[in-house]
Amino acid sequence: MAQVLLKNITKRWGDFVGVDNQSLEVKDKEFLVLLGPSGCGKTTTMRMIAGLEEPTSGEVWIGDRVVNDDLPKDRDIAMVFQNYGLYPHMTIYDNIAYPLKVRGTPKADIKPRVEKAAEQVELTEFLQRKPKALSGGQRQRVALARAIVRKPRVFLMDEPLSNLDAKLRVTMRAELKHLSRQLQVTTVYVTHDQIEAMTLADRVAVMEKGVIQQLGTPDEIYNDPENLFVAGFIGSPAMNLINGSVRDGYFITTGGTQLVKVGGGDRGSVVLGVRAEDVDIHNAGQGDIDVPVYAYENTGESVMLTVQFGKQRIIAKGDRHLRKEMDDVVGLIVNPEHLYLFDPETGERIRQD
Amino acid sequence: MTGKQRKRFWNTIQIILIVIAAIIMITPILWIFLAAFKTHVDVYQLKLFFTPTLENFSTVFDAPYNLGDKLINSTIVAGVTVLFAIPIATCAAYSFSRFKLRFETSMLVMILATQFVPAVVIILPFFVMFRDLGLLDTRIGLILVNLAIVMPFAIWMIKGFIDGIPLDTEEAAMVDGSTRIQVILNIVLPMAAPGLFTAGIFCFIIAWNEFLFALILTNKDAVTLPIGLALFKGEEGDLWNLLSAAGIIIMLPMFVLALIIRKHFVQGMTMGAVR
Amino acid sequence: MRDNKLKYVLVLPAILVVFATAVWPLIESLRLSFTVGRLTKPNFPQGYLGWENYTWAFLEEPAFWNSVQVTAVYTIVTVVLTTVLALGLALLLAPGGKFRGGMQTLLILPFAMSPALIGVSFRFMFNPEFGLFDSFFGIIFPPLAEISWLSDPTLAFVVVVMADVWGWIPFLTLVLIGGLASIPQDTIEAAQVDGASGWRVFKDITLPQLLPVLAVVLILKAIFSLKTFDQVYMLTNGGPGTATQTLSHYIYFNGMKYGQIGYSSAVAWLMVIPMIFLTYLYAKHVFKKG
Repeated sequence: MAQVLLKNITKRWGDFVGVDNQSLEVKDKEFLVLLGPSGCGKTTTMRMIAGLEEPTSGEVWIGDRVVNDDLPKDRDIAMVFQNYGLYPHMTIYDNIAYPLKVRGTPKADIKPRVEKAAEQVELTEFLQRKPKALSGGQRQRVALARAIVRKPRVFLMDEPLSNLDAKLRVTMRAELKHLSRQLQVTTVYVTHDQIEAMTLADRVAVMEKGVIQQLGTPDEIYNDPENLFVAGFIGSPAMNLINGSVRDGYFITTGGTQLVKVGGGDRGSVVLGVRAEDVDIHNAGQGDIDVPVYAYENTGESVMLTVQFGKQRIIAKGDRHLRKEMDDVVGLIVNPEHLYLFDPETGERIRQD
Repeated sequence: MTGKQRKRFWNTIQIILIVIAAIIMITPILWIFLAAFKTHVDVYQLKLFFTPTLENFSTVFDAPYNLGDKLINSTIVAGVTVLFAIPIATCAAYSFSRFKLRFETSMLVMILATQFVPAVVIILPFFVMFRDLGLLDTRIGLILVNLAIVMPFAIWMIKGFIDGIPLDTEEAAMVDGSTRIQVILNIVLPMAAPGLFTAGIFCFIIAWNEFLFALILTNKDAVTLPIGLALFKGEEGDLWNLLSAAGIIIMLPMFVLALIIRKHFVQGMTMGAVR
Repeated sequence: MRDNKLKYVLVLPAILVVFATAVWPLIESLRLSFTVGRLTKPNFPQGYLGWENYTWAFLEEPAFWNSVQVTAVYTIVTVVLTTVLALGLALLLAPGGKFRGGMQTLLILPFAMSPALIGVSFRFMFNPEFGLFDSFFGIIFPPLAEISWLSDPTLAFVVVVMADVWGWIPFLTLVLIGGLASIPQDTIEAAQVDGASGWRVFKDITLPQLLPVLAVVLILKAIFSLKTFDQVYMLTNGGPGTATQTLSHYIYFNGMKYGQIGYSSAVAWLMVIPMIFLTYLYAKHVFKKG
C-alpha cells in the first residue's frame, strides 16, 4: 500500500511560513495534483514528501510508516524535476540506469529494465547519446524513464511540463496521462497550470499562501468552488466575479443593475460568480440587460466579449461566428443554473438550498 | 543511526572543520599582528600575554629605517599606475567587449600570456634598459613596470564588467543620435563605475604588493614598502617586532581596500578562471 | 570617427603597453641569452656566444638541475595539496549557511597579503627561537620546540610549501566554490532521490561536473607555482644552501648577485617553455567556453 499522508505539516523559514499546518491524504494509486500560483507552497509540500526539505513540524507518512527521519533515497520514491535533473556527463542509458546501479541491482537485470523503460517513453534510439544532444521534450522523457525504471511506491513530479513549448506540452500531457494509467503508481504532481490539473488529476489540491483552499475532483473544483480564490483560479477565462447585493431574491450589482434571480434572503454585500460560458449573448433588447461591448476577441474556436456595466466588466462567451464591435450594445442573459455566491470578506462560498 | 541523526553528526563535523580552517587561515596574520605590538624584549621572551606598545610603529618611521619614505613611494607608484592603467584598460576592454576585431583572439591571448610570464624572465632586459636610460631607482621606472603587470588584470576585469552591461541603453542612445564616444562617456562609464573602481583597487593592491621588480630596479630612492621589509635585519638576527610593525603597515591598507570591494573581490579573484 | 577605426584606436594604447612591457622584453631577453659577460664590466655585453649559455646550463651546471628539481617537486606538491585542500574547504563552505559569509571575508585577507609578507610571516612563525612552536606548541608538546625548521633542507622545503599552500588556498577555494555553485542543484537532488549516498553523489555527479573548473584550477596553480619568487626570497632565500632554490630564485641569483645576465636570461627562457605549454592549455580551456 502506498498512500501518502501529511499530518499537520508546517514549513517555516524565519518569519515566513511556506506551508501552514496542512494535512492531506493521497490514496494508494491516486494521481493527486497540487495546483496553485508561484509561492503557494505546492513545491515545498512535495519536497517535504520527497525528503529534500525537512518539515518544521508535522509528520510525513508513506505507506504505513512515518518517514520524517528517512533520507530521500530510503523513501522508495522517484522524482521528475522541473529542469529534468539529468546527469549531463552520462549517456541516456547511464542516466536511466543510475537508480538501479546505485541500489546494487545486478548488472544482468539492469539492461533489460533500462531498455524497457526507454521503450515505454519511445527513446530507444537515443540511448547512447548525451543529454545535451536531445531536445527539451526528449530530455523530459528521459527524466520520466529514469523515474519509472524502478518500481517506486510514489512518483513525484515538479512542474515537469512547464519548460516545454505550448504545443509539446499538450502532446506530453496525453502521454503522461497514458503512462500513469498504465503504471498505476501513487503520484503527486505539482503545477501552476490549471488545465494540466484538470486533465491529469484524480483529485486536485488547490493551494494558496501555504494553505490548501480546496481538495476535490476536477469536476468539484470547477463546478463547486469553495471560495473566491478557487473560483477565480480555475477556468479560462477566469470566472466573472461581480460585486453587489441580494434583494428580494435578486442579485443587484453595486451600480444598481438587477442581473439575475438567485433566491434566498436579502444580503448586504455578496460577490456573484458566473462563468463566461454561462452568460448568453443576444441582440440588444432581447436579454435581461443591455450593455456596451468593451472588447471583442475571436479565438477561432469561440468569441469572447468583454462588456461593461457601471464600473465592472464581465466576459461572456459566444459562438465563434458572432461578430460585434467595440461600443456595440448587446443583451445578456445570465444562466441561473450555474451561479455562485461568495462572502466578500471571508471569500467563502455561500451555500443556500 | 537514522538519516536525521546522521545529518546532524556530519553538520557538527562540518562546523568543526570550518573552525579549524579559519584558525589555520588566520594564524599567520594574527602572528604578525600581535608581534607588531610587542617590544623586542617580549618577543625574545616568547610572551603570549603582554602589554601592547605602539613604539614599534614610531621606530620604523625614524632613521635608519625611514619607512615613511617607502610608504610615500609605494603610494605614488601604485596610485599613478592605477591612474594610467584604468583608462587605458577601459578603452581596450570596451573595444573587446563591443566590437569584433581582427586578430582579437591573438590579442587576448597575448594579454593573457603576460599574466603568466614569470617576472624573472623579463626583469633582466628591463634592468639593462633602465640602467642605460637612467631609470633605475626611480619611481617612474617602477610605474612603467607596474603598468605592465597590472594591465592584463585590469583589461580582463573591466571587460567582464562591461560584458555585464546590457547593450540596450547604448543602442537606444545611438538611435537617438549619440556618437560612440559620447555613449562611452555618458552611458557606459557611469554604469561601469563600480567595476572600474573595483578594478582600480584590485590593481592598486597588486602594485602595492609588487616585489621582484622593486627589488631589482630600486636601490635607495625609490624603494617601496615590501622591499623595506628587508631592512630589518639586525646584528642578532631579524628585528621581529619592527618587521611585524612594518608588515602591518603594508598589510592593513590592503585589507581595508579588499574589504571595501569585498563583494566584487570574489568575482575579481576568480575572473578568467571560471568562464 | 567611425566605429571601424575607433575600435582599433581604443585598443591601441593597451596593446602598446603590453607590447613594450612584455613582448619586447621577452624578445630582448632571448637576445641577451646569447651573450656573455658581466653586467658590472663597462663594456657590456662582452661578446656573443651562440648556444653556449644553454648548453652550460644543461650539461655542466648542477645548480641548474637542482633548481629544476626543486621547482618541479615544489610545483607538483603545491598544486596537488592546494587543490585537494581547497576542494575540501569549498565543499565545506559551498552549501552556504552562516559560516560562509564570514569565511569568505576571512579568505580575502591572505590574498591581499603580499607573498613577500607571507614569506616573512612564516619565517617568523618557524623561527627556532621565537616561533610558533616555541612559544605555543612547544609548551604543550616540548619535543616540537626542538625542531629547527629552517636549517634542515627537507623541513625548510616543507615550510616553503606550507607558505605557498596557505597563500593560495583562498583563491582556489573561492574559484571552486563558484564552480560548485554552477552545478545544477537538481542533478544532485535527483541522485539523492535515485538512491546515492553522500559519497556517491560526490563521486558520480559532483566531481564529473566540476572537472572543467578543476582543470582550470590545476593549470592556473601550476603556472603560479612555477613563478614563485617573493615568498621563497623572504622565507629562506633559497636556503639552506640551495634546498629551496626555485628556478625563479636561481635566475635572480645568477643575474643580480653574480651579474651573469646572459646565462640568467638563457635559464629564464628555458623556463618559458613549460609556461607556454601551460598557457596554451589554459587558453584552450577558457576560450573553449566563450
